[in-house]
Amino acid sequence: MAHEVVDGSSMQRALTRITYEIIEQNKGVDDLVFVGIKTRGVYIAKRLAKRLKQLEQIDIPVGELDITLYRDDRHVADYHEEPEVKGVDIKVDINDKHVILVDDVLFTGRTVRAALDALMDAGRPKKISLAVLVDRGHRELPIRPDFVGKNIPTALDEQVHVAVEEFDSHEDITIEKIK
Amino acid sequence: MKKRYLVFENGEVIEGEAFGADVARAGELVFNTGMTGYQESITDQSYNGEILMFTYPLIGNYGINFDDDESVAPTTAGVVAHEVARTASNWRNQMSLDEFLKQHHIPGIKGIDTRALTKKIRTQGAPKAALVDEVTQAPALITSLEQSSKQLVKASSTHNAYPNPNTGKRIVVVDFGLKHSILRELAERNCNVTVLPSDATAQQVLNCKPDGVLLSNGPGDPKNVPAALDMIRTIQQEVPLFGICLGHQLFALANGCDTFKMKFGHRGFNHPVKEIVTNRIDFTSQNHGYAVDAQSVAKTELFITHEEINDNTVEGLRHKKYPAFSVQFHPDAAPGPHDASHLFDDFLEIIDSQQRQKELEQNV
Repeated sequence: MAHEVVDGSSMQRALTRITYEIIEQNKGVDDLVFVGIKTRGVYIAKRLAKRLKQLEQIDIPVGELDITLYRDDRHVADYHEEPEVKGVDIKVDINDKHVILVDDVLFTGRTVRAALDALMDAGRPKKISLAVLVDRGHRELPIRPDFVGKNIPTALDEQVHVAVEEFDSHEDITIEKIK
Repeated sequence: MKKRYLVFENGEVIEGEAFGADVARAGELVFNTGMTGYQESITDQSYNGEILMFTYPLIGNYGINFDDDESVAPTTAGVVAHEVARTASNWRNQMSLDEFLKQHHIPGIKGIDTRALTKKIRTQGAPKAALVDEVTQAPALITSLEQSSKQLVKASSTHNAYPNPNTGKRIVVVDFGLKHSILRELAERNCNVTVLPSDATAQQVLNCKPDGVLLSNGPGDPKNVPAALDMIRTIQQEVPLFGICLGHQLFALANGCDTFKMKFGHRGFNHPVKEIVTNRIDFTSQNHGYAVDAQSVAKTELFITHEEINDNTVEGLRHKKYPAFSVQFHPDAAPGPHDASHLFDDFLEIIDSQQRQKELEQNV
């Protein structure tokens, strides 16, 4: 049984806080580019861009990376296969830009590593930061997020699921035990 | 039935019926549009030196209880009502409004057409006035107001530091005339609170090793509290900062914004406030007669996060470089809607996030 750990409005507020932190830690928002990791990372990236636009009246480009975690798209640690980059649709030039990579859940760090490879292949960003809505721990690589919505401690046999209105038609963060 | 007079600075006199304490007091006449919550409002230190008029035509109908006070010794100068209920009826009722006002030496006047008077204030601005039993007493009282208005914060603040211990984050609350509801909201979140007087220095605040600092609400003109500005400028660089009401105005002044006296202020519990990044509307509890000048924010390192949607008053600010933010309205409600109470959670999350960042920087 999945149970809700964060409700929709708390999720919204976490994204608002990340928006403010992005402003706080960057001197300006001119060189920013968001790159969302499909599927939900893209929606989250778009929301961050929208919030910044409301404040600064500036359009920050949002690119997409399609990284598939083993056919079923479940965040389960697996030691035999690495996540694969399926498609890169960054649309914008990332050379000399500050890229903020956005994903919904940060777990082992392997997806992020694949994303970093893809970004490096696509150009030479000035800087890459990582924003995630949920950090659930259990890293297997030396990767750390710069912006975190919620720290949610989990067990390895649990699955964290982020639902976003645009894709799931409801919004919350749930944890489920994997049998 | 005893007569009492509401006398204005221009000499105009309105006759009404006395209730509450038998003392003569002067103050700025302000109106509150709330339909309930008179107990919390009367005990709110932000009304220090103000004569509080309720537009709602009947007050006192649910009495007074011993749980809802917002301060120990209310400093509201007087109460103006249309009708005061003869009998209070509520399961929490423990005392009548009349008795309560007598106990706290606050005079009241009833039988006043408070809505007509409010319409007048809305066009002409909030006047100085006095509540007196003899009309001749009024002018002297009104002229003495100028002097006392500079000391409002000092009179409302605690004089000594005191703790409100708990097991969670260490929060320092700088008391400019705080409402108990702020402490209640922090207590609900297990915060280990130390309350410091309004003249606390940055060093005194930092000596408490706070995880975060909250600047409370309070009465009067923020420009009467210049000593706090230096403290704020130092603190905001060190720890996360959250300002409420007067605390918001001081945060703005400390960062180079300007404040101005509003014509008749915002006092009520149905003020819609828009969060700019999301367009979300919260209905908020407000009590302010001064506001931050929106034009002045542009040149500073602050940006506007919230605005009132009726008159575009600045209702929320945030610093571009430091984890410091403030709101003009009362997220602690009491009385009023709890729409914005999540700001206390946001404050604690900002503290968490900030501590995480600091740890990361140390590990690099």
